[in-house]
Amino acid sequence: MILFMVVSLFYLYVAVGRTWGLVVEALVSQPVVQAIIVSVSSSTLVGLIALAVVVPTAYVFTYKEFRFKGLLETLLVEFPQTFPPATVGLVYLLMLGPGSRINIAYTYPAVIVSKLYVATPFAMSFAIRRFREIHRSGLDTVARTLGCRTRHLLLWILLPLSAKDLAAGFSLTWARAMGEVAGTLIFAGAIPGLTETIPAVVLLTSSATPQLALAVSVIAAFLSIGALLFFKWIARER
Amino acid sequence: MEKLRIEDITKHYGKVTALDRVSLNVRSEEFLVVMGPSGCGKTTLLLILLGVLKADSGHLYLDGKIIDDLTVEDRNFGYVPQDFGLFPHMTAHDNIAFGLRVRNTPKDEVNRRVEELLSLVELQGIEQRKPAELSGGQRQRVALARALAIQPSLLLLDEPLSNVDEATKSEIRQRLKETVKLAGVTTVCVLHEPGDALVLGDRIAVMYAGKILQIGTVQNLLEEPESEIVTRLLASHLFRWGERASPDG
Repeated sequence: MILFMVVSLFYLYVAVGRTWGLVVEALVSQPVVQAIIVSVSSSTLVGLIALAVVVPTAYVFTYKEFRFKGLLETLLVEFPQTFPPATVGLVYLLMLGPGSRINIAYTYPAVIVSKLYVATPFAMSFAIRRFREIHRSGLDTVARTLGCRTRHLLLWILLPLSAKDLAAGFSLTWARAMGEVAGTLIFAGAIPGLTETIPAVVLLTSSATPQLALAVSVIAAFLSIGALLFFKWIARER
Repeated sequence: MEKLRIEDITKHYGKVTALDRVSLNVRSEEFLVVMGPSGCGKTTLLLILLGVLKADSGHLYLDGKIIDDLTVEDRNFGYVPQDFGLFPHMTAHDNIAFGLRVRNTPKDEVNRRVEELLSLVELQGIEQRKPAELSGGQRQRVALARALAIQPSLLLLDEPLSNVDEATKSEIRQRLKETVKLAGVTTVCVLHEPGDALVLGDRIAVMYAGKILQIGTVQNLLEEPESEIVTRLLASHLFRWGERASPDG
């Protein structure tokens, strides 16, 4: 896997090597800048929404017993990771598109919704695993004997002890959201400045202007690597 | 005066009987040790006392009042688990203050109580250290201070000496008993090591295969063991006790 990644990045570097000017040109061109803004802002929003959703969900999966818990967990955590994103986009188009009561197709919220389903499971699996680890350690039981109820347990024990895992979950969710393209294209389209993301620019320009697609790919790769390093730095040991 | 009454508690895990009609009384300010080999049901009994597990049948009474349906949070029982369960992201001070902060105790009062407890467990000067920077004995004392901070109705100790060095164990054991006596709190302590049980307990309940075989003082147990199993569990100590009781042979 590591070899594949290194070779891919090297190949990309060589392919673009002769046209670095094009990368710089792409970086200042309005459609690419707009696509970067849409991609980064929507992925960041998806990461934050994911965190807001996964914390209570992970709490319920750790502490509550109910029927079909295992099935629900599979549907929320494992299933979205294997479900084809294009199909997700199509389902959203039918559910929340033209002709339905709530129509958000081809809007910025549609970008968020498309990315959320495929990207949230990363944060979800990190949060559930960590909450269960804390539960197994018995620290929550000690806290409860000291009078701690759910709100304090979350704020004073579960969240501080899961901070790194939640940060890791956020960064993977963010990275997955940055790369999502099929579902977004179907449900949100590729309207410049509104719903067109970096992967959409790459996809749509790859046949007509492959050098531009390559240049945008390089920008996307640097952006993702930079962001992941930044998240890792935030979550580092202090 | 009776503080805690355990009445006919039974607990099954599937077809396995973990506790079989366990009954015992704990007197006010008494240090009661529940001693038995691994798997005898003593941890299950502790978890039922804590409120983490529900008994299949039987009742628990505290000061004469039934507490079967009280939640863990509402029992006000101090608990020191086997690994001490200190919150790793908090300093010793914040660990001890935890239960008081949960109860919205004013800051000055929290600081005063923490200082008092640090003095009780003889740990002044380590307030700002995190659990990873403390020795096994210090961690145990911080956990004890944290459990005592809430002025518990009952203190529950789970194998309090299993994570301390052999070299310092007897000193820590003695200090543990003295601290609990000074605090004046009724204590139920679960142990598997007879030597520790005999030193710590005012009375000892010997447990085996989910049943209480005998309850008594050290002297009762060593002089009049009521069954073969009790004799075997205390064998090495019976020998030493016999030597002490009759030095002529």
